[in-house]
Amino acid sequence: MTKKTTTLREHLDDFIADTLARCTRCGKCFEACPMTRYSDGLTNAEPQATVSGVLDWLRQTPGNAESVAWLKVCTQSSRCIDACPEGINAMKMVRVGQMSAMGSLDVPAEQTKLIGRDAKDFFRVINAFAGTQMTAEEIERWQR
Amino acid sequence: MNDKVTFWYGCNVVRHGDIIHSAITLLEAVGIEVTPAGGAGYCCGTAKDGNLRAAEGMGKRTVEKFNAHGTGQVVSWCPSCYRHMNAFMGEYTDAQFQLSNFAQMLHARRDVLAAKLTHRIERRVMLHKHFGFHEVDVNPLVEDLLRLIPGLELVTTEVSSPGHMCSALSRVPASLKDATRAVCDAAVSTQADTVATVFHSCQRLLCALEGREPFKVVNYVNLLTEAMGLPTQDDYKDWKLAGTEEAVIAKVGEARIAAMGEKLFRDSILPELLKQPAK
Repeated sequence: MTKKTTTLREHLDDFIADTLARCTRCGKCFEACPMTRYSDGLTNAEPQATVSGVLDWLRQTPGNAESVAWLKVCTQSSRCIDACPEGINAMKMVRVGQMSAMGSLDVPAEQTKLIGRDAKDFFRVINAFAGTQMTAEEIERWQR
Repeated sequence: MNDKVTFWYGCNVVRHGDIIHSAITLLEAVGIEVTPAGGAGYCCGTAKDGNLRAAEGMGKRTVEKFNAHGTGQVVSWCPSCYRHMNAFMGEYTDAQFQLSNFAQMLHARRDVLAAKLTHRIERRVMLHKHFGFHEVDVNPLVEDLLRLIPGLELVTTEVSSPGHMCSALSRVPASLKDATRAVCDAAVSTQADTVATVFHSCQRLLCALEGREPFKVVNYVNLLTEAMGLPTQDDYKDWKLAGTEEAVIAKVGEARIAAMGEKLFRDSILPELLKQPAK
């Protein structure tokens, strides 16, 4: 992928196309994940089937239950990146799968499986703490 | 390497003004002219995966502001910001700057820094590590920096947790408990009197351990500034250690609560300050 894109969606579409073309569904990324033991839904999950489910999310269609379970426990540990024999950024693949499962791409709302962590008071809390930790001048100069 | 940089400290780190101020002090101490930038107005948008229009708007805005700084070099404190710039923002924007991590920049000038660390810090320190920040292997860089402090004894362990910092584990609470237990066990077994955190969210989520464990929890930049003879005040830890609603309110103080907004304080900030780490 060398083409420079001008929107996030264009970039994601390029990344998805490249990943779908190169991923062999070997399952090495899933096997390397240190988080799978934290999900009951992954106890007997087949690595190849789980990765296939993530690729379904990249295709904008709902993936299987194992893929949803994997998307839920990803904490961005990066082990999957080194494990991929094709050089795919598998951590980014999972994250884009999460975006899809949240309904941020083209999956219909009624088929989404994840909720974005978009707390409504996130920035109000950030601004409130900043007011206790920085001077008004620092906030004006550093944060505007 | 430029002598002028934009220091991008991020959003959630504003809970820890001590970390922001110490980091700026350290960059300036090694001869760098710093333009600090952070808070909501410079958010990377990493928390907006459920709203890509917002994520894109925030990413473009932040990159445009960095370009306008004209420093050509952005030094990121937060690993989430760094990751988001690398993996997403830089792909659809015209970023006119090089991106590096704070620990990298300080490590590259550690010879200059070492001469400034003139105060002995008699502590036995264990670094709290995560292995998920694959873009920059910060743990050995930070260990090198801590070794510059006169009097400080660094104990090394193989304990390293998933994720790039503790906040990443929050979505899987059992993994955060495991990571917390692991750092406690390792500190006790190595008889460390101080656990040094690398990133702000680890400091946020672990600092209250001080109330019940036999070690202090201090971010590494504050150890470095302390070695420069510049002690710091970790207000957030002080508030977390207060323990009860009444004590938190007394420590934060009526004026600051009023400035935050009484309802926001009651609804969001007080529960955060009362929440204790589980292991």
